[in-house]
Amino acid sequence: MTSSAVDPIRLARERRRIFLALFTALAIALHTIEFLLPSPTPWFRLGLANIFAVLALFLYDGRAAWSVNLIRIVVSSLFLGTFISPRFFLALSGGVLATAVMTAARGIAGERIGPVGVSVLGGVGHALGQFGCAWLVLVRHDGLWYLLPPFLLMAIIAGMINGFVADYLLTTLRQHPAFRAKNSESAVANNENAL
Amino acid sequence: MALKDYWQRTTALDRVIIVVMLALCGFLAVIVGMKKPGKTLYVNQGERVTYKAEMMTDQRVDLPGPLGVTVLEIKDGQARILSSPCPFKVCIGMGAIRHAGEIIACVPNRLLIEISGENDPNQERNYDLLSR
Amino acid sequence: MTRSVVSLLIVILLFCVSIVFLREEAGPLVRTRLLMGTVVEIRILDEDAADFDEAVSAAFSAMAGVEAMMSPHLSDSEISRLSAAEKRLSVSAETREVIQRSLDISAASQGAFDISIGQLIHLWGFAEGEPQRPERKLIEETLAETGPDALAVSGTEIIKRSSDIAVDLGGVAKGFAIDRAIGVLAAAGVRHASVNAGGDMRLLGDRGGGVKWRIGIQHPRRPQQILARLDLADVAVVTSGDYERYFEEEGVRYHHILDPRSGYPADACQAVTVVAVDALTADALATAVFVLGTERGLALLNSSGVEGMIVDQNGQVEMTSGLKEIISWP
Repeated sequence: MTSSAVDPIRLARERRRIFLALFTALAIALHTIEFLLPSPTPWFRLGLANIFAVLALFLYDGRAAWSVNLIRIVVSSLFLGTFISPRFFLALSGGVLATAVMTAARGIAGERIGPVGVSVLGGVGHALGQFGCAWLVLVRHDGLWYLLPPFLLMAIIAGMINGFVADYLLTTLRQHPAFRAKNSESAVANNENAL
Repeated sequence: MALKDYWQRTTALDRVIIVVMLALCGFLAVIVGMKKPGKTLYVNQGERVTYKAEMMTDQRVDLPGPLGVTVLEIKDGQARILSSPCPFKVCIGMGAIRHAGEIIACVPNRLLIEISGENDPNQERNYDLLSR
Repeated sequence: MTRSVVSLLIVILLFCVSIVFLREEAGPLVRTRLLMGTVVEIRILDEDAADFDEAVSAAFSAMAGVEAMMSPHLSDSEISRLSAAEKRLSVSAETREVIQRSLDISAASQGAFDISIGQLIHLWGFAEGEPQRPERKLIEETLAETGPDALAVSGTEIIKRSSDIAVDLGGVAKGFAIDRAIGVLAAAGVRHASVNAGGDMRLLGDRGGGVKWRIGIQHPRRPQQILARLDLADVAVVTSGDYERYFEEEGVRYHHILDPRSGYPADACQAVTVVAVDALTADALATAVFVLGTERGLALLNSSGVEGMIVDQNGQVEMTSGLKEIISWP
């Protein structure tokens, strides 16, 4: 019997929901701002919003990462007015592949992979997902492939930068009681949600 | 918050991933670099594409039509008609084409030859349409 | 578990459904067809270009319709039947309009432009695709029947001065077809388009955003180069050149633009470009000026209220004053 009136399982679940909502909102804000900032070319972006998916992945689990990313993509496209437009589907393809690769990598490698590695994979996944979408649906043109290597390089570098930022955030956040004992809380939360 | 500290915090797998991805990137760059501007030439007869050729491969093609055989030559990235059974040789007079979107046609022999591609509409020409 | 599966399915469904919308994006609508013996290209630059697919098809059909009515190569076209007629034939309003306007230009050019030379063209074999130089005597005999007064329009009929007269609208039918196509596109709401029939063209509006069309003029002696460039909108541009269709016999080059007064290919010019409000006028005047040569050609251009450029047989270039403002040299 715990001394506090709060059920730890419920507490964990609530915390998860609230923080994921927070992460999602911040991801949306970051994505929108990043999109609105001038950039040399429209395609080369840092993808800062992905940092939050990485955080969700490391602090909670794969499903958390999925929800952060998917909701972020849909809602920010509504804000930017690009919902159901080519841009949206490029972002969606990129986001889906990125998240899939990140969660799979974390699932397979577990503790052996860190936020930097995951983030780099996320960046690469995003780039490849976008290219795949562009190739299949938009422009079946050889010239497209010329863009891939520099794009990929940018994605790797951005992934690394984002990874370091995520790492910093993780070390800071993990010091907070809300995120301690992460493993038992998230396992319990998962079981609850699976019902 | 030195970068070096963070670098040391990366796991071995992280570093492997970075190296592998960079290698992948380099590999792709090499492959793409070797792929020369692959413009493709299409021959249309009637509504169908009856022949396809790469602009970067020198070749000579016989294109049969109702009047006879029109000979097309691709050389040094340019395509032109060498001989044709049509009366006015307008198609030969059209000269050589090399850019995407350009067309040669032998109308009497029902041939329309064009170079595909959408990425250099008029970059190397300073006009939109040609009056001739 | 089912909740996330359902949401995933919804996302996928959205994805698939919208691929349909994706396809419509971007870029000018360009369609080409082989018509009237040449490659005809219609280009639409409006933002919603993809919506005009049907209009483009209708425009091509209109052009094919003109060809069916006015081509001398189709034995049951109105023109062929007119050429075969004894004295008179009732024709459609369009054919009448084209013939009337051609007769007007014929008179204005003092016979340099003449649609009654069908028989002469037939002699040279340009129409049949077996060109040859006819005998002088034959040419002179054939010429006797031609001239600006060989035809007359009366009510719904065309009256021939003699039964041997064959009508050839080769110098104007293409222009008329282009005008028709533009009419179809304009009626459909297109604002920025070009109809280009093998180098004879008409523009609808500009390219969008106030940007004019850049029209290159083929250099008459250097195939890979342009002679000059005109920045235009909403006009027709037609160039007649001695380099387009020709054959050689005994080392002499004979091109397809005949001088109706001599019966032989006109030799006053290498090329003429006319810029006019409609393509029929530009087409007819380009031919007329080509035959007339620089001095009288310029006079005709000015009196017709059109702009034009003449490259004489030595390569010397003259042009109307209006053209000087919009021309640029490479």
